[in-house]
Amino acid sequence: MHEVQPAKITSPVVSLKDNYVRLIPIALAVAAAGIGGALLLSLDMQRFSYAYLTCFCTLMSLCLGGLFFVIVMHLTRAGWSVTVRRIAEIIAMCTLPMFILYLPILIPLMMGSDEVYIWNVEGWSIHGDEAHKQEVLAEASYPPPIEELKAMYLNRWFFGGRMIAYFLIWGAMAWFFLGNSLKQDQTGDKNLTAKMQKHSTWIMIVFAGTLVFSSFDFEMSLSPFWFSTMWPVYFFAGSMLSALAAITLIAIWLQRTGRVTDEITVEHYHDLGKLMFSFVVFWGYIAFSQFMLIWYANIPEETFWYAWRINPNSAGVMTGWQWFSLVLLFGHLLIPLLALMARTVRRSKNFLLYAAIYLLIMHWIDHYWIVMPQYSEIVSHPTGPAAGLTFHFNALVDIPCAIGMAGVFVALFCLIARDRPLVPLKDPRLGEALAHHNP
Amino acid sequence: MATTVEPILDNTLDDPDHRSPLVLGDMDYADVTDKVCSIWEADKSPKVWWLVLIMAISMLMMLGGCIGHLLMKGVGVWGNNNPAYWGWPIVNFVFWVGIGHAGTLISAILFLFRQNWRTSINRAAEAMTIFAVICAGTFPGIHIGRVWVFYWLFPVPSEHLAMWPNFRSPLLWDVFAVSTYFTVSLLFWYMGMVPDIATYRDRAKSKIRKLVYGLLSLGWTGSARGWHRYEAAYVILAALATPLVLSVHTIVSFDFAVSQVPGWHTTIFPPYFVAGAIFSGFAMVVTLLVPARKIYGLQNLITIRHLENMNKIIMATGLMVGTAYGIEFFISWYSGVAPERFAFYNRAFGNYWWAYWIMVTCNVFIPQLFWFKFFRTNTIAMVVICIFVNVGMWFERFVITVTSLCRDFLPSSWHYFHPTEIDIMMFIGSFGLFTTLFLLFCRFLPIIAISEVKSILPIKGKDH
Amino acid sequence: MTEKQNQEMEDQKLLGLLAQFEDPVSLVHACNEARESGYNKIDAFSPFPVHGIDPALGIPRTILPFFVLIIGLTGCAVGLGMQYYANAGDWSDLFPGYNFMISGKPFFSLPANIPVTFEVVVLSSAIATFLGMWALNRLPRLANPLHRISRFKRVTNDKFFLLVETKDPKFSREETESQLNQWGASVIEEVHEDLTDQQLPSWLQLVGLMTALILLIPPVLIFRAEGMTNRKPRLHVIPDMDWQEKYKTQTLAPNLGDEKHPVFLFVDGRAMQEPIPGTIARGNLYTDSEYYRGIKSGTESFATLQSAGARTGLQDDASQDKSGQDKPDQDPTADEKPAEPAEPDWVTQFPPNVNVDQALLERGQQRFNIYCSACHGYAGNGDGLVNARAMALAASGQATWTTAKSLNDPEIIKNPVGRIFDTISNGRGTMGPYKSQIPVEDRWAIVAYVRALQGTGLQPVTVTQADEETVEK
Repeated sequence: MHEVQPAKITSPVVSLKDNYVRLIPIALAVAAAGIGGALLLSLDMQRFSYAYLTCFCTLMSLCLGGLFFVIVMHLTRAGWSVTVRRIAEIIAMCTLPMFILYLPILIPLMMGSDEVYIWNVEGWSIHGDEAHKQEVLAEASYPPPIEELKAMYLNRWFFGGRMIAYFLIWGAMAWFFLGNSLKQDQTGDKNLTAKMQKHSTWIMIVFAGTLVFSSFDFEMSLSPFWFSTMWPVYFFAGSMLSALAAITLIAIWLQRTGRVTDEITVEHYHDLGKLMFSFVVFWGYIAFSQFMLIWYANIPEETFWYAWRINPNSAGVMTGWQWFSLVLLFGHLLIPLLALMARTVRRSKNFLLYAAIYLLIMHWIDHYWIVMPQYSEIVSHPTGPAAGLTFHFNALVDIPCAIGMAGVFVALFCLIARDRPLVPLKDPRLGEALAHHNP
Repeated sequence: MATTVEPILDNTLDDPDHRSPLVLGDMDYADVTDKVCSIWEADKSPKVWWLVLIMAISMLMMLGGCIGHLLMKGVGVWGNNNPAYWGWPIVNFVFWVGIGHAGTLISAILFLFRQNWRTSINRAAEAMTIFAVICAGTFPGIHIGRVWVFYWLFPVPSEHLAMWPNFRSPLLWDVFAVSTYFTVSLLFWYMGMVPDIATYRDRAKSKIRKLVYGLLSLGWTGSARGWHRYEAAYVILAALATPLVLSVHTIVSFDFAVSQVPGWHTTIFPPYFVAGAIFSGFAMVVTLLVPARKIYGLQNLITIRHLENMNKIIMATGLMVGTAYGIEFFISWYSGVAPERFAFYNRAFGNYWWAYWIMVTCNVFIPQLFWFKFFRTNTIAMVVICIFVNVGMWFERFVITVTSLCRDFLPSSWHYFHPTEIDIMMFIGSFGLFTTLFLLFCRFLPIIAISEVKSILPIKGKDH
Repeated sequence: MTEKQNQEMEDQKLLGLLAQFEDPVSLVHACNEARESGYNKIDAFSPFPVHGIDPALGIPRTILPFFVLIIGLTGCAVGLGMQYYANAGDWSDLFPGYNFMISGKPFFSLPANIPVTFEVVVLSSAIATFLGMWALNRLPRLANPLHRISRFKRVTNDKFFLLVETKDPKFSREETESQLNQWGASVIEEVHEDLTDQQLPSWLQLVGLMTALILLIPPVLIFRAEGMTNRKPRLHVIPDMDWQEKYKTQTLAPNLGDEKHPVFLFVDGRAMQEPIPGTIARGNLYTDSEYYRGIKSGTESFATLQSAGARTGLQDDASQDKSGQDKPDQDPTADEKPAEPAEPDWVTQFPPNVNVDQALLERGQQRFNIYCSACHGYAGNGDGLVNARAMALAASGQATWTTAKSLNDPEIIKNPVGRIFDTISNGRGTMGPYKSQIPVEDRWAIVAYVRALQGTGLQPVTVTQADEETVEK
């Protein structure tokens, strides 16, 4: 059962070859058209920034999921996943260039803009008009406004510093795995595997730490009053699910275009399908637990966040966000739960292709649901609480932006993959992965 | 024939290009059967077994006495009082339920993840689960005060009362979760054991044994069609038990987290409780299996590698628990909500600082020793660490329950909790119950899944 | 196996041939060969599930997962329905639901019902898996001819077997045997029909029947007891909550020390303390005298407060001691005590915040019928059931009783509303105080209804709009 299998790569093509030269400009054109189009169609920097942040967070969490996949496969010394691990390694490597994509948010923030992260201005926690705000700020009040209590963490310099640290750490981790894996393609040195396994332990701890705080920073701090200890887990659940969907999608795309045709077998798709299924369940479990605890305890510090997304606004009108919540309940949990349950379905490449695309769209909707109601809250605020929260879904802004971000992802993937092999050529466990068979 | 001495081959070294064997000593099918059955076929149990059994039974009798006393006098014999309405009983309940998570985890989740090393340890772990859940069920069972109307916990139609349980109460969810968990674990354990009971049946000499094991084995023949459906059922049960095992400790955490008490109401509780449960459960498995493999000479079946893997899981889950402590602390500060901040500050630096730091030391600091291979592979060292882990996990539940209640929203009712002698004796007695059941299991049932171990042995055949 | 047994077996019907193999690989090989040779009534036996045997034997995938899915979905519906029925519905007469109001949540609130639903789904699916698997395998089975073959005992240890049944069309005693040998069987044995042990021994049947009968006794007894009344006090095996260790109000706390060094709960030996003089408990400062006491505001003196018994914590110890000693309900002559002080200045109109309307009168009627009619009768003329019974006892000398007043008594009619209110609140003569049972607004409602009764010449009334004016006078 655990005999050494002779590992042979039999596919005629195992890399993108020269196609990436053609693919990158196309992908970049799509990206520029999509994101630029969104900017032009919105004609509002703040609205655009929110749409952009949604797409950024969707993609960012996807790349982090890829990084987690790589680390955990080394940590558990997995054999089955060797043939799909390179795809995950490339996705993980995208984390570093993602920093550039964050700059459109980060630079205005560092220059003092509070358009996206509202905590970036003095007096954000005081409700009321500008005069009232100045009045409160002028007098020494006790207890201090909540912003003073949080200022040590939520200030632009620390935030910016943290961001740089996160991306550097992630980039270093991703390069550690990708670089060593590529080196192994040349040398076939099994000690490289041993080395990666050894270091995956503490790397996992560092990764967990950065994931926790970055999830607070990227999205939870958009709504700086709100807090939830479950947040990093929720972020992680969606991130891992989207990474699995992306790995599946890319694997199918590669095979349909005649690459790595022999190495990734139906058994690997079966396993990816099982993992997607389990992360659909896990996402549902985490999302439900978080909602349930806040709903049940019903304390004002927390409940408002869900109330924006589920309840009628202060004027008694349903905002429209409740439809997004229902889409998540059915589309992100119940439908994929039932659809991915059957074994035959998980072994069908055609079906998994649609499932992966579907789950990626759902992942985007999930982040849309997280980010955008905050924008609604900001823009409905000046008109007074009586007007209540509004609904801001604009297909002409959000959809081009999402397509553009997908283009960015394809460009990044091709840029990193170039003509590098898309499976680890000489991994010591390649034989095990090739012979892998689901009972 | 298998030897009982420590194996010479070190299977903890994992060379990336081949997998180390999981069973040592060059055992074949008959060796595995003989080895496991020898425990049951021996005329006499080892002296240690008798010694521990006598101790365990006397502890069990103490538990019985305490329960009798409690029933006659009422729950006032415990230290629970305003404002700490939940004292040791709930702490013990959560402690035991947590321990009861490792068995189903090993049988179900590790099975789904195709971790073959589970086969040597899953049976004992499942048995441990069931006994731990029995211990756990005892505490809320007697906490209800009037035990003789316990059936009111279940939706029993009653013409006279027109009363139903309140299905929106987390305590009722507990009733459903724990009883479901117990039932499913029992089915899983028993179903997994049927082929091995059939082995016992076929080897039984005495008439009584033939009858009892004959009935329990349900006429199992090992037919290929039988195995096919059996494996399908095993996969389904594993797939059902996995979310179940998560749900049970999640629901236990809901008991606390749906409330508004600072320190209880925090959204990370469900996964954090589950991680803690796995942590303590694995520690208990290691604590039990290290002496068991020594006494019964099972070193070739439960190898150092198995123990090392469990220790790694203990370290990983310990780190998860530690991360959750950190997140809780950070968010309590970040929230800016005064009672939240106070609750966590009070945990670490208030009256109960000693409990908090025992918890952190045992759960976060001490398991870090498992970074060193010496501690992962030395049986004595690992047992000591695992005992510390379980001490720490008991204190975790104590810290959560008592510190939050003793410093609630109403400072005039702040209070320092004191357990009574009954509290202490009952907790000790619950170990008697657990140990008694486990020792009887070791003697009369296969403590290693014989058929599953055989399925991972290297195949020797002429065509191979 | 002895000669005799062998002979017996020879006579019995041949069921098939059992071939033994030494390792799983040769078993799978033999299964493949057998299938290729056209056998289909074959089965393999092994100590553990052998990899690759399913295709070798052509075993189809089991239907168990679909069965479990259906049961699981049913469990989901049942779990949700049960909770809806129990907590949200009260439409059934036989087993009605029970509406709990918990923390303002709706009776049926889906998030809170998810955990139990989930557990019911898992429980039903798991039981379905377990039972379904055994049922599909036709187990448990107490007798199997294979178990009579001693060699077959090693199937649960280290040997592998292949059974070819005689039912198979291709089966032929000699040819099959030679084929099996050819495929690598190490030993071949015949399987014969098992004629013995087909039935349970009769003594076992008898024992089973007796056990079932004995087990029936408790449920029958319980069922019988359900429909009976019993005058005996119930058994107190466990001293439940019936006898609690506590001191009751207005009792002496026992001496916990000894004669020389008495230790009391409080220095005065009581189990309960008076309110501290000059203090008023939170929520008991009733400043609106007309409304709370029926006394014109500004006229109430300390003495009138005492006599009205408005126990606001203002009484001094002396008066309290007296009232503590005199138990009015045991002493019918209590109202003749000389200590009765002057009548306070009762209000003659309803206080301004009591709005006398139909709703109030209806409320008053309802409360009157609950609290007052037992003695004063539904019409208020003093012929309530308690009064009738007490009078009968008093007539035979078994009790002393002061007749409940007819509310139509001219003495009563001329009472101002404030005094009626005070009577309800604090009692008068034999009548006890109802202050603690009836909230203030309900007491005023009763006063209004009493006025209405007096106005109608003491007939139980149907409250109408017109009565409002009568009462208002």
